[in-house]
Amino acid sequence: MKIFIMPPNSLILFDLVERFGHEPLSLMKALRDRVTSNEIEAPPLNVTVDDVKLGLKYAGIEIPSGIRGRLAIYGPLIDQAEAAIFMEDAPYSFGCVGCQRTNELAKLLVRKRKVPILSLDYPSNEDEAKDMVVRVKEFLEGLK
Amino acid sequence: MDSNIETRLIFIAPTSDLTPDRIARFVHNLGNEVTVKETCYGVVLQGPRDAVKRTLDEVRKMDPNRIFSKIRAFPMGDLRRCRAHHGSRPGFAQLEKEWKDLCLVEQGLICVEKGEKPPAPKKRQKIPVNDLKKLIDEVSP
Amino acid sequence: MIKIAQLSCGTEYSGVQAEIERAAETVGAKMVYPDVDMQKIDKAVEEFGFNPNSPQLKLMIARAIELANKNYDADAIFIATCFRCAEGALVRTELRKFVQEHVRLPVVTYSFTERTKAAQLLTRMEALVTIVERKELLARERQVGLTAGLDSGSSTTKAVIMRDNVIIGKYWLPTGDVYSSAETALTNALAEAGVKYEQLEGIGTTGYGRYTLGKKFNAKLVQEELTVNSKGAVWLAGKQKGEATIIDIGGMDNKAITVRDGIPDNFTMGGICAGASGRFLEMTAKRLKVEITELGALADQGDHGKVKMNSYCSVFGIQDLVTSLAAGNTLADVASAACHSVAEQIYEQQLQEIEVRRPIIQVGGTSLISGMVTAMEHTLGQRPIVPRDSQYIGAVGAALLASGLLG
Repeated sequence: MKIFIMPPNSLILFDLVERFGHEPLSLMKALRDRVTSNEIEAPPLNVTVDDVKLGLKYAGIEIPSGIRGRLAIYGPLIDQAEAAIFMEDAPYSFGCVGCQRTNELAKLLVRKRKVPILSLDYPSNEDEAKDMVVRVKEFLEGLK
Repeated sequence: MDSNIETRLIFIAPTSDLTPDRIARFVHNLGNEVTVKETCYGVVLQGPRDAVKRTLDEVRKMDPNRIFSKIRAFPMGDLRRCRAHHGSRPGFAQLEKEWKDLCLVEQGLICVEKGEKPPAPKKRQKIPVNDLKKLIDEVSP
Repeated sequence: MIKIAQLSCGTEYSGVQAEIERAAETVGAKMVYPDVDMQKIDKAVEEFGFNPNSPQLKLMIARAIELANKNYDADAIFIATCFRCAEGALVRTELRKFVQEHVRLPVVTYSFTERTKAAQLLTRMEALVTIVERKELLARERQVGLTAGLDSGSSTTKAVIMRDNVIIGKYWLPTGDVYSSAETALTNALAEAGVKYEQLEGIGTTGYGRYTLGKKFNAKLVQEELTVNSKGAVWLAGKQKGEATIIDIGGMDNKAITVRDGIPDNFTMGGICAGASGRFLEMTAKRLKVEITELGALADQGDHGKVKMNSYCSVFGIQDLVTSLAAGNTLADVASAACHSVAEQIYEQQLQEIEVRRPIIQVGGTSLISGMVTAMEHTLGQRPIVPRDSQYIGAVGAALLASGLLG
């Protein structure tokens, strides 16, 4: 199944989802198509004015452009999500996930889709990490 | 660029004895159509999606609970994301932190492997107001 | 190559990063990004004392601390966040204050939308580069020889002839065609000065039409209006030494500039909307059927408190104006309210982005509208200095600086 991960660029979540046999809906793939496109209008990420306008599907015109631009990239991933894993308090999330307002809105958009969601905290010690991995595995297995 | 070409980052957990150099040589010897480049934390692979996937599966076998991977948006050596030109990539700090914590994830994977069910970790909770009052009374009666 | 350190959030996702870099390249500068180790980020946020929720803003703070601690070498600083983001605006403003307390580098702040284009950023970037590259020229306090300054603004074109630090001829007219307006202004200024075009030792151009005029007149100096106007303002006001704030309400955008010894170290320029500029005063005068030159005196007789006027948008502003006239308010009250509405916007937008330093010098064509100066006085609690010939700041600055380039 297609699993939306939050943060959408997390190495740990991407790896675990793939390891346990599902397809992570990753930001990296969404950006890949843009940055390797033949027409680079707005380097480095090639998020163009038109993309920011497409972001209006997810957030109104009164919302800052950075939020709409980010949602233009990962909003379509949310639209495909069949399940999701949110990892709260992930450290040092810059760039695509650097705007906390966008991150909160993205989670709301996923919740509105009424798909199964697993919420976790970023592990800070071994016990928490064990619990996290086991819960991710159980959650993903439960989806099959 | 061909949309079938994938760029993938492979990370070696800090607890592993593997080195980027060993993985790179291993990948070369596999003879898949995959380009490999060493990094601080492992290697970058680039090539047709299937070949990259096959290579990853083989590399993982070298140390299953200590090899991690994710795909990367920018192709290998892309100047737009070169540290020398733009400072570190926005995602770099997060990767650095996640890489450091891979040894924690490894412990989780061992649990899964053994079929263990770890006890739920205790969460920090706010102290009930009556308990707090008792504590205050104890400190300053 | 001049290095402009970028402290920002949201530029890549608003599609404006390339525009920022293009603007910098056009003026011979390069955007650079202070590299920060992960370990330093939490410490930097703690040192700064404000902990934003958004991680990118934390990174912005850590980058600023690198600059403040002089661990990273840059010539100027560009601070930008998304328009309408409250958290971003907070960090942008406080970071600007923080870096200015720690380093003597020129700083410009900007809040962008997805529509921000390189052209809008060009003047700001050019000013940063001028401040770095032309420090010695900008430090010049006296005009020498016989030079002319041309200021091609969006509303008016001004020309000034100067000889040995004295204005000997001047002329202004509404801008039509950029070149012919400048030619008319120059011809009339030369006539007043009693000198011939051929006698001029050098010409300086500034304002929107500076490049076109620079080519046509083979100008010695072609420079953006932020640094040129600052020079003209402190020269006209006799405040060349020490600190000052210059408020220039222009035809299309408003500028607020802080200077130290006549050289700008922080400036803002209205960019998102032209609603609260000199253009609104022109629209008001037209609607009240008075000449723009009479608007100020009329406003001074009025009571702005009697009229509620929307200060955010010129269209709604004029709508309020019509309604309040219909409700029986006097022309004077309405004129006063229009001036206060512009002053309020300058206060709410430009003056929040800079540190207001005394004295305040008000310049530009709108400074001749006395009601506008009164409105600024009410808003700031101090009457701004309006130097003689205050509408000629750009032309004077250009003539003065051009004289520094004579062989």
